[in-house]
Amino acid sequence: MTLYAVIFYVLAVVILASTLLAIIQRQVIHAVVYLIVSFFATGLLFYLLGAPFLAALEVIIYAGAIMVLFLFIVMTVRAESGEDKGEIYHWLPAVVLAIISFFVGGVLIFKIPGSKMSLNTGMASPATFGQFLFKNYWFPVEIASFLLLIGLVGALYLGRQESKKESEDRR
Amino acid sequence: MIVPYGDVLLLAIILFLLGAVCSISRRNLLMILIGVEIMLNAAGLAFVAASLKWSLLDGQAFVLFIFAVAASEVAVGLALIVYSQRRTGSLNADRYDSMKG
Amino acid sequence: MKTILFLLLSFPFLGGFILAVIGRYLPRRVAEWIACASVLASLLMAALAFGSAGEKRYLLTLFDWIQVGDFSASMTVYYDRLAAIMALMVTFVSSLIHLYSVSFMRDDRDYVRYFCYMNLFVFSMLVITLADNLVFLYLGWEGVGFCSYILIGFWYSDVVNATAGRKAFILTRIGDVAFGIAIVLFFLILDQLSIFSINSKVASLSAGTATLLALLLFWGAVGKSAQLPLVVWLPDAMAGPTPVSALIHAATMVTAGAYLLMRLFPVIALSSIAMVTIATVAAFTGLFAALAALGQKDIKRVLAYSTISQVSYMFLAVGAGDITGGMYHLFSHAFFKALLFLGAGCVIQALHEEHDIFKMGNLRNRLPAVFWLYLVGSISLAAIPPFGGFFSKDRILLSTFSHPEPIYKFLALIAEIGAVITVLYTFRMFFVAFLEKPSAGKDLAKKDLKIPKFMVWINSPLALLAIFAASLNFPEAFGGKAWLAHYLASIPGGIPLFPASTPIERSMEIGSGLLNIAVLIAAYFVYRPEARSLGWPTPLVFRQRLEELLSSGFYLDRLYQVALVKPYQAMARTLWLKVDEAVVDDQFDATANIFRFFSSGLQLWTTGRLSTYLKMLLLGFTAIVSALALGWYYLR
Repeated sequence: MTLYAVIFYVLAVVILASTLLAIIQRQVIHAVVYLIVSFFATGLLFYLLGAPFLAALEVIIYAGAIMVLFLFIVMTVRAESGEDKGEIYHWLPAVVLAIISFFVGGVLIFKIPGSKMSLNTGMASPATFGQFLFKNYWFPVEIASFLLLIGLVGALYLGRQESKKESEDRR
Repeated sequence: MIVPYGDVLLLAIILFLLGAVCSISRRNLLMILIGVEIMLNAAGLAFVAASLKWSLLDGQAFVLFIFAVAASEVAVGLALIVYSQRRTGSLNADRYDSMKG
Repeated sequence: MKTILFLLLSFPFLGGFILAVIGRYLPRRVAEWIACASVLASLLMAALAFGSAGEKRYLLTLFDWIQVGDFSASMTVYYDRLAAIMALMVTFVSSLIHLYSVSFMRDDRDYVRYFCYMNLFVFSMLVITLADNLVFLYLGWEGVGFCSYILIGFWYSDVVNATAGRKAFILTRIGDVAFGIAIVLFFLILDQLSIFSINSKVASLSAGTATLLALLLFWGAVGKSAQLPLVVWLPDAMAGPTPVSALIHAATMVTAGAYLLMRLFPVIALSSIAMVTIATVAAFTGLFAALAALGQKDIKRVLAYSTISQVSYMFLAVGAGDITGGMYHLFSHAFFKALLFLGAGCVIQALHEEHDIFKMGNLRNRLPAVFWLYLVGSISLAAIPPFGGFFSKDRILLSTFSHPEPIYKFLALIAEIGAVITVLYTFRMFFVAFLEKPSAGKDLAKKDLKIPKFMVWINSPLALLAIFAASLNFPEAFGGKAWLAHYLASIPGGIPLFPASTPIERSMEIGSGLLNIAVLIAAYFVYRPEARSLGWPTPLVFRQRLEELLSSGFYLDRLYQVALVKPYQAMARTLWLKVDEAVVDDQFDATANIFRFFSSGLQLWTTGRLSTYLKMLLLGFTAIVSALALGWYYLR
């Protein structure tokens, strides 16, 4: 049981616990905060698994931008709380299906060769990663930036305040 | 030596299923989106583990793209949610059933 | 000659066609002119052909019609002497009736339809008259049936008329089926559909085949000519306009049956069974119809039953082997019956559509011209010498009597009784309708409708012919020139098979003539206005029953209704409600309902809610992964 393994299992527990708590919450804000914790832990896990650049990105983008965006929206939108009464027929089918999938997935994982092998440690420095990325995957990077532009424009348009005239036209 | 590869994948699967359960069983639109984010995150984890196993950087590059896509998708998704909340006044997914039948 | 015959047929057809297409847009006079002119032109052509034919016979193809593989049917005509005089008679009587109709239908707004179908009828009848190819003849046969149906039900807004038309069509159809079968058999056995060739090849038929063919043809003729048992349509067919009755049900269509048998006489003559059958049916039909006519109140129905009776004489002639006698009676009947019908039409119109003879009376003063014309017709019908009807009917009785087989003597007796009753019912009709009623006042004449003089005077040619038809074939026993007999001598059957010897001929003629005159006097005493009663003095109850029996035609109509029509209708209703609707329709409904059931089950899936669809996504994901796992598990 190496140190790395211990760290891994601790991090795993944290991630699972916080995600579980996140999906159970009634209030969306609570769920978002738990999720931020989960993403932090995931970032650390990435670092453990040899991707420091991605770990940083996880924290910055996922936990820092996306979840904060969620927070903004939750606070802006006046949503009625108490929407979900947590009826059993809502979550029972999902849980049943999830359990089935879990077992099947487990079977799948432990059948593939090499699943029992321990992972070696490794570290991909940001420089290496950057060179690799721009050498082999420059085109998807450009596309990704384009995608972000589109998302930006879309969000702007959808989020604008409608003038009186436009809302009357729609009616 | 860290952990067996299978354990990491197992973790990813559990995370993914948690996100799926959240997406399916919650009625609040925001919670559905949150479930999607959890699922994307789990996929990213699986990719990083695979990249470490095969000692290839392609997996990590793909995680980068996942981040980009997730970001733009969340932006647009949330804009849509805000818009539809303005239109119908409710964030309950069950209210949006005009395609019934 | 070919052109003349082609024009003969095309004029009426063109007339009908033009009227059908543009008749509505033409002024009334023009349309009537077209109709009459086409038939008159046809008459002209018939006269030309008659004049130029002489001794010759013609077999001409007018038009190549059907050509399918081995089978071909072209519009061929066989113009021999029989066809020559028949065509002449048909066109002459049709022309007169068309002219009469112009006047008769003067107030009717549907004149275009009327004249169109009258023209088409004349065309079809001429096709029957001239045709050589049996399929072509069948075309004409069906054509007259169809035009008859339309014209009987001419005033179709009254459902009674439409029903009468339908009845006529169905009953003649029953006969036509047999005729169709006969045509097919002719083709199969003799490989010929041409009358001329059939008549020449007749020796190759066995007696049995000939009997079958003859009986089939006879059944077809029975339908068309309203003999027993297909007789019930003719009295009801009086629902049509009177000129239609005159043309179709006196002169032409009902004689088409007899004419067909005369054309194919060699086939029929080959089978003595067929001849006897024909003669028997004819004789009994004659008696039946004469008795039924005695009980009718409607003037047109009396004439209808009278037609049935007289046509049966023509069939009797065929059965006895005397074509000349049959044709002679056909002619004189055409003349006097058309005269009687047209006269009845004048009377009916003048008396505001009154058909009941017991409500008429005093017509000598009200309609003097019609009175004399009708008298001429009645004398001819009753076969009182010296008018034409007497000689023609007597000739037939003579031929029947002189047939060697004993049954023919019996049939001759029946026919003679029928002839006696003919006198009775004819003069019952005449005396009741035309003589003065003692209680009628003089002012009845003022209420009559004024009918055009033209309508009355157009009947005079017919009256003249009825009187002088005797000269057509004055029996040689009395020193006359039997012109018709000589003319028809060259066609098969023209010379009677069993000519009577002169002494018998003389005595029979004188005897029956005297008998008829005696019965006429008796009828006067019974039916004169002062002694109004149905007939012989009988107890009241018996007389009523007798009246009903006779006036309903021996309940034949009711018998058919009960035995045939009602079961058929019941069966149709059952099949409709129980089978068609319950089984067939509902099967489709049931099949559709299965689909509806399934789709309504599937409908529960499309809830429109996001959560449902997401659940389905996860379900799909689970399924795929499980499949993968199973695959991997088993592949290991």
